[in-house]
Amino acid sequence: MPNFRMKKEWWLSIRLIHWSMVSSVFILLASGFYIAYPISFGAGATADKFCVGNIRTLHTFFGVFLTFLMLWRAYLGIFTKFHATWIDLLSWTNIHKLINQVKFYLLISNKKPKHVYQYAPLQALAYSGLILLQFMIIMTGLIMVGANYHAGLSAFAGNLLKPLEIAMGGLAGVRLIHHIVSWGFIIFIMAHVYMAIWTDIVYKEGTISSMISGRVFRKAD
Amino acid sequence: MNRDFEKRDRDLEERITQDYQRMVKECDLHLEKMDHDLPPLIEPLAEQLESAGISRRSFIKWSAVTTAALMLPPIFKTRLARAAEQFGRVPIVWLHFAECTGCSEAFLRTSYPNVDNLILETLSLEYHETLMAAAGYQAEENLERALHDFAGKFICVIEGALPTGMDGKYLTLGAKGRTGMELAREVTSKAAAVICIGSCSSFGNVQAAKPNPTDAKGISDALGIKTVNIPGCPPNPINFVGTILHYLMFGALPPLDSLGRPIWAYGKRIHDCCERRPHYDAGEFVEEWGDSGAKMGWCLYKVGCKGPYTYANCAKVRFNDGISWPIMAGHGCIGCVEPDFWDTMAPLEKPIAEKTFGGGEKTVDNIGKALAGVTAAGIAVHGVVSFVKRQGQDDIPKTQDEG
Repeated sequence: MPNFRMKKEWWLSIRLIHWSMVSSVFILLASGFYIAYPISFGAGATADKFCVGNIRTLHTFFGVFLTFLMLWRAYLGIFTKFHATWIDLLSWTNIHKLINQVKFYLLISNKKPKHVYQYAPLQALAYSGLILLQFMIIMTGLIMVGANYHAGLSAFAGNLLKPLEIAMGGLAGVRLIHHIVSWGFIIFIMAHVYMAIWTDIVYKEGTISSMISGRVFRKAD
Repeated sequence: MNRDFEKRDRDLEERITQDYQRMVKECDLHLEKMDHDLPPLIEPLAEQLESAGISRRSFIKWSAVTTAALMLPPIFKTRLARAAEQFGRVPIVWLHFAECTGCSEAFLRTSYPNVDNLILETLSLEYHETLMAAAGYQAEENLERALHDFAGKFICVIEGALPTGMDGKYLTLGAKGRTGMELAREVTSKAAAVICIGSCSSFGNVQAAKPNPTDAKGISDALGIKTVNIPGCPPNPINFVGTILHYLMFGALPPLDSLGRPIWAYGKRIHDCCERRPHYDAGEFVEEWGDSGAKMGWCLYKVGCKGPYTYANCAKVRFNDGISWPIMAGHGCIGCVEPDFWDTMAPLEKPIAEKTFGGGEKTVDNIGKALAGVTAAGIAVHGVVSFVKRQGQDDIPKTQDEG
C-alpha cells in the first residue's frame, strides 16, 4: 500500500462556485424545459394562477445568479494566482501530451502523461467549451430577459446586446440558440460526472470528495 | 427621504415640461414653414372627411388616439390635426417592386375606412403604379417629371423587395425595361426620405425566404442606404400615417430602432401588450384548434404564436379601425414584422421548440436526446472496457516522465 499525502486542490471559493453552479444549472434546465413546454398547475380561475409567470421568474433569477457566478469565476481565474487560472485552460496546447492523454483515456496506453497544468489536456478543452456555452447561454438569456423590460439592469443589458440579437436573426433566433446550448450543458454534465467517477476509481486520489473537502490524496514518491 | 423623492419628482416634472414646451415651439415653427413651402392642397381635408361621412367628433377622437400612439402629450392634438390637413401636400412617389401589392390594397380598400385610410387617400401621389391611369411611356414621363419637379422634396415610398441576383434582371419594370435596382437607385437618390412599406421592402419577406433563388433583399440591404422601415404583412396604416405626421410636425423622422423601425410603433413586443397574456402567465393554453381553451380565448403560444419574439404595436392599435387583430381573431402572431420571419419563425403554427432541421422529427430536443444517447452509450462502453482491462493490473496508473 503506497503512502498518500494530502494536498489542497480547490479553494473554498471554487468549491462554492462549483456547487452553486451545479444547483443553478439543474434548476435552470428544469425550468427552461418547462418554459419550452409549459403546462398548467392546478385548476381555478385565471386570476388565481401564475405558474408560468412564477417559473419564468425563477428561471430569470437563477440565470442572473449564473451570470454573477461566471463573473466571480472569471475574476478568480484572471486576477488571482491560485490553482485553476486561465493559464490552465491552455493545457491542450502541448499536442504530444494531448495525444498521450487521449490514448490513456481510450485505454490504449496504461501510462498517464505527467500534468504540468492543473487540468488535463482534454479536461482543459472541455472546460473551455463549457465557458463558451455558459457565455452564449448568458448572452442569449440576457437578451431575452432584456426584451421584457423598458428600464433597469436587464433592459440595459438588452439594449447593449441589441446588435447581437439582430445578428442572431431576432429574438426567435436567440431563443433557438439558447435552446441548443442548453443541450450542450446536458451532454457536458454527463461526460463530466462520468469522468470524475472514472478518475476517482482509477487514480484513487479522492477526486470526487475533493470538490467538497478541497483536498486530494497524492501518492508520496 | 420622502422629501428627496418629492424634490426629484418635481425636478423631473419641470424638466419634462420644459422639454415639451421646446417641442411645441419647434413643432409650431415647422408647421408654419410647411404651410409656406409645400405645394397647395387640391381638396381640403375637412371637405373630404365630410363627403366620406366622418364627423368632426370622429376626427377629434382619431387625432387624440394618434397623438397618444405617437407617445406625445395632449397638447399636440391640435398640432397633429393641423399636420393631418397638410398631409395631402407632401409629394409622394410610390414604387412597387417584388411584392403582391397587398400593402396598397390594405391601405386603400378597407371596408370601414377610418381617418387613417382617408388621409392616405389624400396623399399627393405623383406616381403610383397600381393607381395611376397612365401606362407605358406616359407613365415613365410622369415619374421623370415628378423626380424633376420635386427633386429633394418628395418622399419615396417603396413596396416590395429588390431581387439582386443576375444583376437585378429578375425584376424589370416599365416600357424601358429598367431593372428594379436601377429604378430604386435613381429615385431614392433624389428623395428627401425613403419609407419602406411592408416587410418586403423592409427586409425581403417571402421573396427573401430560403432558398431565395432571386437573391431578393430589402431596400436598405440591396442599395446600402438608410430607410425608415414600416414592416408588417401588411403593416398597420397608423404606423405609416403616424410616421409621416411626425415628419410634418417636427421636420424629422421619428426615432428609429437598429432595424430602421419607428420606436413609437415597434418598440414593444406583441407578447408584452397582448390581451391573452394573463392566460400565458397562468399556464392556460390552446392545445389544438377549436378546443375548449380556444373557445375561452386562452394563450396561443402552443399553437405557434410568435408574439414573444415580435416587436410591434398590433395589440395596442389593432387593425381595421381597431376592430380586431390576428391574436384577437384566434390565430397566433406569425412575427411578420421581423426580418426573415418565414425562416426564423417557422413552423408558424407550432412553437419554435418543434422547429425541425432537415425535416422529419429532427427537432433540437430530438437531436439533443440522440446526442445524449450516444454519450451515454460511449460512457457505458468505456466503463465496461475499463473494468475488464483494469482487472488484475497495477492499482494506480504510472505517470509518464516526459518533457
